[in-house]
Amino acid sequence: MDISGKSYKAFIARQEALKKQYSQKQAEKQHSKGKLTALERIRLLFDTDTFEEIDAFVTPANQPVEFGKVERSFGDGVIVGHGKVNGRLVFAYAQDFTIMGGSLGVVHAKKIAKIQEMALKMGSPIIGMMDSGGARIQEGVASLSGYATIFQNIIHSSGIIPQISVIMGPAAGGAVYSPALTDFVFMTSHTSYMFVTGPNVVKEVLNEDVTFDQLGGAEIHARKSGVANMIYDDEENTILALKKFLSYLPSNNVENPPTVADDNSTIDVNEKLRDVVPDDPNKAYDVKDIINLIVDKNSFFETSELFAANLVTGFARLKGKTIGVVANQPKVLAGVLDIDSSTKGARFIRFCDAFNIPILTLEDVPGFLPGVDQEHSGIIRHGAKMLFAYSEATVPKITIILRKAYGGAFIVMNSKNLGGDFSFAWPTAEIAVMGPDGAVAILYRKELAESKNPAELKKELVKKYRDKIANPFIADESGYIDEVIDPAVTRKKIISAFNALSNKWVKVPARKHGNMPL
Amino acid sequence: MKIKKILIANRGEIAIRIMKTARLMKIRTVAVRTAVEPNAMYLSYADEIFDNSEDISEIPVFLDIDKIIAIALNKGVDAIHPGYGFLAENAYFADKCIDNKIVFIGPSPDAIYKMGNKTIARKIAIANKIPLAIGSDGNISNEDEAAEIASKIGYPVIIKAASGGGGRGMRIVRKAEEMERLFNIASKEAEKAFNDPSVFIEKYIENPKHIEFQILGDTRGNVIHLGERECSIQRKHQKLLEEAPSCALDSRLREEMGMMAVRIAKAVNYYSAGTVEFLLDSDRNFYFMEMNTRIQVEHTVTEAVTGIDLIEQQIRIANGESIKFNQGDIKLNGWAIECRINAENVQAGFAPDPGKIEYLNLPSDPNIRIDTGVQTGSSIVASYDSMIAKLIVRGKDRREAIKNCKMALDKVWIKGTKTTLPFFRMLVRNQKFQDGTFTTAFLEKDLDKYYFNSEYEEMLAAWLATKLFVEENLEESSINVDFKNGKELSPWLLNKRINQF
Repeated sequence: MDISGKSYKAFIARQEALKKQYSQKQAEKQHSKGKLTALERIRLLFDTDTFEEIDAFVTPANQPVEFGKVERSFGDGVIVGHGKVNGRLVFAYAQDFTIMGGSLGVVHAKKIAKIQEMALKMGSPIIGMMDSGGARIQEGVASLSGYATIFQNIIHSSGIIPQISVIMGPAAGGAVYSPALTDFVFMTSHTSYMFVTGPNVVKEVLNEDVTFDQLGGAEIHARKSGVANMIYDDEENTILALKKFLSYLPSNNVENPPTVADDNSTIDVNEKLRDVVPDDPNKAYDVKDIINLIVDKNSFFETSELFAANLVTGFARLKGKTIGVVANQPKVLAGVLDIDSSTKGARFIRFCDAFNIPILTLEDVPGFLPGVDQEHSGIIRHGAKMLFAYSEATVPKITIILRKAYGGAFIVMNSKNLGGDFSFAWPTAEIAVMGPDGAVAILYRKELAESKNPAELKKELVKKYRDKIANPFIADESGYIDEVIDPAVTRKKIISAFNALSNKWVKVPARKHGNMPL
Repeated sequence: MKIKKILIANRGEIAIRIMKTARLMKIRTVAVRTAVEPNAMYLSYADEIFDNSEDISEIPVFLDIDKIIAIALNKGVDAIHPGYGFLAENAYFADKCIDNKIVFIGPSPDAIYKMGNKTIARKIAIANKIPLAIGSDGNISNEDEAAEIASKIGYPVIIKAASGGGGRGMRIVRKAEEMERLFNIASKEAEKAFNDPSVFIEKYIENPKHIEFQILGDTRGNVIHLGERECSIQRKHQKLLEEAPSCALDSRLREEMGMMAVRIAKAVNYYSAGTVEFLLDSDRNFYFMEMNTRIQVEHTVTEAVTGIDLIEQQIRIANGESIKFNQGDIKLNGWAIECRINAENVQAGFAPDPGKIEYLNLPSDPNIRIDTGVQTGSSIVASYDSMIAKLIVRGKDRREAIKNCKMALDKVWIKGTKTTLPFFRMLVRNQKFQDGTFTTAFLEKDLDKYYFNSEYEEMLAAWLATKLFVEENLEESSINVDFKNGKELSPWLLNKRINQF
């Protein structure tokens, strides 16, 4: 091609101007804060030379200039486009903080909306990388309406294509609802913040001193608020993890999740599984030890690890196929269900259901967390979410009762009559209406009160209750579970069970949508 | 011999230590299996095992007096050896043994009680003209009284728990204005640890050496000493390394201190093995601190230089025999050092680091003695102490002992938990340690870095980390995700999924 002609000159000049825009100086500014530029982030995410940028040369809308000039730059502070991640089509947008603080103007918003609509049309995942000062003040209500369009698009795509937000800088005010609406939120520690009202406003209104990190840093959102699902120390690791994460997800809600070739490196019958659950029912253990022995080697990807750690959620592979894992964690709060773990579990289950990811439940739950605080904060309402999510899910669902399965919590954790497809139990399982201590106290109240040595009698009765009632065999013999299995063969059992369920279809009554308790 | 069967009311290395000697003496042993360590190594040394692993109460069985007595009666033992820690210095327990016609291998309940209570011990020491740091006459009830006495004897002073040990309930007060706060802390700590809030005050001896004398007495009133041990290498009053003899003593001072140690032991009609602890200041004045009425962790270094099996002597004395040698027969031969290799994270302030011992390699050599209660595959459990092994190294003199110790430390290899090995490796290279001029303040004042890493270690760590990172990323990128597979649905499913909308 001859590009020395006159018409090409303008073309080349523009290309060079764009290149200049990503000048070293601006990159250094980001780097000095421990951040990458939007372009560097895009390059890290996509396979080499596969990213195609769209609307690189758009310029900001003309606005009245009373409130400061709008920088005339290409792209209006956001890079959008598509490319291949691990060889699959993915759409993405990355806000560029070096241009007007990544603020969202009309054109900026239109670019994002355009790529969102494309992703939905193609049935491909979309990644949003946020690093923005918020709505562009100079553009006023127009920029606010831009946000509304973005939100509307996210909601329309919800449950159809996976939508993931990566917070790599500030996200404040209304902007936080864009990540909040998406399926998963990644954050980078120390360089990203999310809050509806910032520290300055908090100081003004409530006269409380709080730092950015304390108010809305990655750590806080990962541990306390549960807003951030995954956090990492730096942007490189955040993006690497995101790439790995994407490999578990299908492109849309019609497809099945992708598979990886099974290298048969995980043994199907593992006797180590017999040793994880301690003999003493009051002793804790790490349920992740069990997960890692059951699923393909190194395939477990935990989500929301730090939030409500009494319930473990995450993706894994079984013979190369993606599954979702929900497991009570006896190591934390004895694995009880509380408000946070219920909402965490419910949201994870709904994601799996929307994207055809079968669910494996590992159950060791002493019940719901008692207490005034929990009751007054609505454990009834929040616990119902978990119940609703499990029951509503039509993907293959398998439960393994490892140890405790008491009362309401037993029902909630994907019990067979709640639509669980297969229910297995280990010989260590204790299935009953309540734990031995509580049950004995109620059933033998009189005897205990009259006894000369109530402690000794109680100990004896508890042992009797454990032997006679709190075991998996009654449930097995009456069909409430399918089989009591040797822990060693767990992996083998669930592989064959999920295989049997691979064509599962459940006809649900037509409706606009259920009314999930929120 | 009357004693034919012993119950070991203890676990870990000391249980094994006792059972080894018992076996040589043709005495049967009974060990207790617990729920916490049902497969512990010490069980394999016992002739009989009492299985208590069904008992899952929080309090270790080794602290449960009634239970231990019941086990002893059930197993028909003649004697109980308490080891160290747990019930070893519990006068009530010793009394209970006697009530149940079981021999308690240790001193009389009376001696345990008198020496266990530091205010009483002080009074006995004063009555017997044992040199003592000046201090309060008895327990102190409140901070005002404490401040008054402290101003009389002059700061710095040390507050000690009357029934304590091991550094708990102990506080050094350097200024009058700190007294109120530290007094309350010490008293509360003492109450929590020993169920007794009483404390007393002593003049604090700055930068002393910790010198203790091994005592052996029999029921016929013979008491001798087996020389000293130096335990100045401590961290917050926890001993880390002990040696015998001490380079701070010459034979004259040894004789003088030994005489005092024997004198206080005789004052309470002491029998069995015991330890009299002194502080030695820089002017070579020494002060009686306390007496430990049990076998000590560091008894091994005394055994190494005297050739006397202290556990055997304990059992023989408990059996009513008299000591077969006298003071003149005791010769200190060579030098011995003991390193307490614990599962602790030196870099995290010696925080316990319990876990499974994935690999354990301990050196063997005529100069090396290892006392351990674990092997590859064992676990260091959080409910007990964090000891992995005691490494005892001998040499013909101190220099050779340190040299041998250095070599031995390099041969120890433990995988699975963090250990105090890097600390000892640092210590044996320290000039002040080699010179022997260190005091109990050594760790705080003279040691800049608590762990040793060789020249190449950091480089190697960086290299390994890089290798790991690269490998991880390679592995990540080598996962061949097959996205096509997800699109191939059975017509049954595809049809239904599409028709859903």
